[in-house]
Amino acid sequence: MIELKNITKIYEESKENSVTALKNINLTVKDGEVIVLRGASGSGKSTILSLIASLAKPTSGEVVVDGLRVSKLVDSFASAYRRDNIGIIFQKYNLIPSLSVSENIILPLVPLNLHVKEVEAKLESVLEKFHIVHRAYGLVKNLSGGEQQRVAIARANINNPKIILADEPTANLDEKLSLHFIEMLRELKRDGKTIIVATHDPLFFDLDIVDRVLEINHGVLL
Amino acid sequence: MRAKINMYLFEHAVNSLFRQKFKTLFVVLVLSTLIFLLTSVFFISNSIKHELQSTVDALPEIIVQKLGGGRHYDIETSSVDEILEITGVSSATERVWGYYYFENAGVNFTLVGIDEFEEQYKKSFASAAKELDFSKPTMMLGEGVESVMDKNYYKEYFNFIKHDGTLKRVDIGGVFDTQSELESNDVIVMSKDDAREIFNMSKNMATDIVVKVANEDEIATVASKIKLLYPDVRVITKDDIKISYQNIFDYKSGIFLALFVVSLFTFFIIIYDKLSGLSSEERREIGILKAIGWSVGDVLKEKFYESFIISFFSYMSGVVLALFFVYILKAPLLQNIFTGYSQLKTSFALPFVFDIQTLFLIFFLSVPIYIAATIIPSYRGATLDADEVMR
Repeated sequence: MIELKNITKIYEESKENSVTALKNINLTVKDGEVIVLRGASGSGKSTILSLIASLAKPTSGEVVVDGLRVSKLVDSFASAYRRDNIGIIFQKYNLIPSLSVSENIILPLVPLNLHVKEVEAKLESVLEKFHIVHRAYGLVKNLSGGEQQRVAIARANINNPKIILADEPTANLDEKLSLHFIEMLRELKRDGKTIIVATHDPLFFDLDIVDRVLEINHGVLL
Repeated sequence: MRAKINMYLFEHAVNSLFRQKFKTLFVVLVLSTLIFLLTSVFFISNSIKHELQSTVDALPEIIVQKLGGGRHYDIETSSVDEILEITGVSSATERVWGYYYFENAGVNFTLVGIDEFEEQYKKSFASAAKELDFSKPTMMLGEGVESVMDKNYYKEYFNFIKHDGTLKRVDIGGVFDTQSELESNDVIVMSKDDAREIFNMSKNMATDIVVKVANEDEIATVASKIKLLYPDVRVITKDDIKISYQNIFDYKSGIFLALFVVSLFTFFIIIYDKLSGLSSEERREIGILKAIGWSVGDVLKEKFYESFIISFFSYMSGVVLALFFVYILKAPLLQNIFTGYSQLKTSFALPFVFDIQTLFLIFFLSVPIYIAATIIPSYRGATLDADEVMR
């Protein structure tokens, strides 16, 4: 279970130029739930995802995931928490263009120094699951947007995390590819993953797999 | 069980270098060139110092030369017996030597005459004396002379032109062993009689006299006694020669010092540039890696591998190139700064001097500094909030 308790986040470039991204947010997400955070650009959706992923620390309040106070974790523990529990699908995919598909996908496993057979097994599993086996050794920069999206999802799932965070996942996709993405999301829900999607794409608002749609405006959950 | 070195991380570092191949190639090229320059300077300097020391070690304690009008004249051999009577003198030997200009190659040779049974004032001459055939005109050559003569097809004998224009044929007996090339490279050793004939010097005359003193502390006293005995001579002690050699060496090493400073300065500009921050591309990549579960330690380890591979490869390339340049190619251009360039000198090869301290010094001046210059900005980048990749 994910709990955000009285979260306020202020980005402080300087005292005169500070930006309040989130104001006193309280949110609970149950295991296996699919949540859509809707709101305009700059409303604070991505900040909520960053805080859950422990990529940023709240200015006040705390984030608790399965009883673990992730907002208080030091770097090495936060990295391990992310690696073991979180899969992030970024808006711009955030792949390393000059690496191959396989190299990009196994990046989260690199620090673990696993046995080569274990890495290969995990890789094969996600390549098949997200239908990119035929592209395994091609360079990411030569892939289409939809294929890059699938690589990003495969990378987010290589460690079989419990939580999937997707930040504007269909912003760079046409409708057909967006629908394809939703099918993959459906599969992830079937696997029992907790999914939080930050988006302003209306395609997500009436989906049968979505449990709740939450509106956020100027850092406040409505 | 996990291996101690994370090969995936290492492989990622290697891939990362290949991904930025032009940048990597540029850094390796600049770093290798700087290390090559610095190492060459040290190698040449060490070799010359070694040669200088060997030359100084082989010098006689006192040299007595006759002067007239400030110029050097031949000295009477009878002076040897009078000098031997001075207390503290253990030996005195007249020397017959001079220069012979070899027009074909435009170089000067130093001709040295020795006697079969006299005590030689240099070890190398003692070994030459053993091999020299005193029954007929023969000569032993320094390596540089041998090379010049060989190039000019003088393989068995050479005809010296005497003062009256007639020729003196002298057979080549071989190359004599030596400890210092700087001192003996241009030397030809032959019998004193043959040398006198070529120089048109009478039997009771010599070029100068070398004196050995039993107690080193008494060199100055003996020198002043010789001066008192012969007011028209110049008495040169080993220290005088050592100082003049050292002066030349110090002046020339100043040029190298300038080169050394320029190289270091360039290196530190690169380091300063690296320390001033990461590119936006590098910051983004660190952000991605952190977002997918890499810790600061993982990022730094990967950066360590990258910088170690670059700097160690550059170090090895620089050192190997310097070895090749200095000891195989004989350091063209750079060597002339130290040894001077003259049409009247035969070339000499720098002796190989392996100084592990020099290699360590270059290593510590390059590899750890470059690694630190890569790690520090990466640490700064990796410890910032990684949520930039989400925005």
